[in-house]
Amino acid sequence: MSRHVDATVGIPPGVTEETAAFWAAAADGRLVVERCAACGAESFPPRGICRACRGRGMAHVEITGIGRVYSYTVNYQRWLPDLEVPYAIVLVEFDDHPGVRVTGRLRGCPPQEATIGMTVQVGFEPGPGGFAIPSFVAVR
Amino acid sequence: MSGTAAGTELFERRFVISGVGQSAIGRDLNQSGFQLTIDAILAAVADAGLTLDDIDGLAMFPGGGAANLPGYANGNLYEVQDALRLSPRWRQGSVEGMVLPFFGPALAVAAGLARHAVIWRTVKEGSAAHKAGGRPAYGATKPAADGPLAWLLPVGMLSPVCQVAPYMTRYMHEFGVTREQLAWIPVTQRAHAALNPDAVYSKPLTVEDYLNARMISTPMCLYDCDVPCDGATAIVVSAVETAPDLRSPVRIEAAAGLVEGRPSWDQWEDMGRVGYGAARAMWARTDLRPGDVDVAQLYDGFTIECVWWLEALGFCGPGEAGAFVEGGQRIGLTGQLPLNTWGGQLSGGRLHAGFGHVAEAVRQLRGEAGARQVAGAEVAAVGNVGGFEAGAALLTRW
Repeated sequence: MSRHVDATVGIPPGVTEETAAFWAAAADGRLVVERCAACGAESFPPRGICRACRGRGMAHVEITGIGRVYSYTVNYQRWLPDLEVPYAIVLVEFDDHPGVRVTGRLRGCPPQEATIGMTVQVGFEPGPGGFAIPSFVAVR
Repeated sequence: MSGTAAGTELFERRFVISGVGQSAIGRDLNQSGFQLTIDAILAAVADAGLTLDDIDGLAMFPGGGAANLPGYANGNLYEVQDALRLSPRWRQGSVEGMVLPFFGPALAVAAGLARHAVIWRTVKEGSAAHKAGGRPAYGATKPAADGPLAWLLPVGMLSPVCQVAPYMTRYMHEFGVTREQLAWIPVTQRAHAALNPDAVYSKPLTVEDYLNARMISTPMCLYDCDVPCDGATAIVVSAVETAPDLRSPVRIEAAAGLVEGRPSWDQWEDMGRVGYGAARAMWARTDLRPGDVDVAQLYDGFTIECVWWLEALGFCGPGEAGAFVEGGQRIGLTGQLPLNTWGGQLSGGRLHAGFGHVAEAVRQLRGEAGARQVAGAEVAAVGNVGGFEAGAALLTRW
């Protein structure tokens, strides 16, 4: 098991009418994206309009299951006082959710073990300003 | 006329770059951003062979509202106008869509709204980093992350370094390019910087130094990141009919800025390929080809951004930049494509947004680049940033 790196030092998100549902679900440990009632396409980040057909009827759908790392970086630089490093940041896509890519931290393995194509599970952890931030868990 | 839609004239034919000017450039200058701005504007106007009374267009990048990093030091556009007693007919503090530093002023001049427009970019990021004890977090000037940054800063992508690093990860993964190969970009540019008295770093850099440097955000090490500095660059753009009155104008063969892809660093669909849209749009406006380019000033906020432009502009094929730059000969001053001859932002200093690159392209085409002059330079390529903020241009001798 890798040492836990605290993620609470940082800059919190500004929450808008469009993004409030995402951050509320995140607090419950759930990853939600928008799904178009007209064409079924999923969009992220949430903007209240479908990126595929521009339909305005958007509902939220929860993403569960396995994601795949599209790319990543391991950050070593202390950008803010008290920022704990190193940590890996992963850009995750989902086989069953085309068009959705979510960026978050990586847990469950040493950051240096991040690879492109590795599988991860959806998760969250305490982030800046009391928000829960995406924090994917490496699948062993 | 080639490469244009039927019935239209290239807007590039209606303006020239008439002047470039810079303040002192250094890591920690004891001058305010406002004074650096004034220095650069005065130098650029004199360089054009004009006086302040000729200036009737005023612009800066970015506008006053955009200060995501400490050390954005353009000053206030109104105060600059007032201090210089200017009466502009056109002005703009642009925030989004920089594409090319001279694009906005060129459009104003081409449309007849101004005859001589000056645009500037001033940074005091060197002294800001010094005061903060290191390069600060992007967005640290604001209490919360807005817009696309709301998805990046909170998870720890606290700098453009972290935001761009996954592109380099993906690029190396897809094409099997190595850090040993890409090291030759910063290493060669450092050799160029040694011939530029205004460069921030001029001490020789080796591939070993590069490979031993500390990681900032993998796979990007210290020398893959541009150097925060203090300094101002101003560019004067003039109506083409004023050319006989100008000291040494530079012609624009083609310029294009394409706003393509998802405008967020983490959502760009294909991180192995960046800038192709802007490059295609530019080449469609000219009969010149990559082989005609004598010198290239390609944006290098990070090493990988140079790679994007080398491939997108067709100087080499997709995934071939590693082999192209390896050994440094091709991109050296006497090579087939001398690259970032002032040292680029990696060694010359992060003058930002292509301002330093345009200034150097102008100097090279005029034969005013001193010890780093590329013999017989007649065509210069400029690339600015990349991805969703991408602009490319070909500048030629008058």
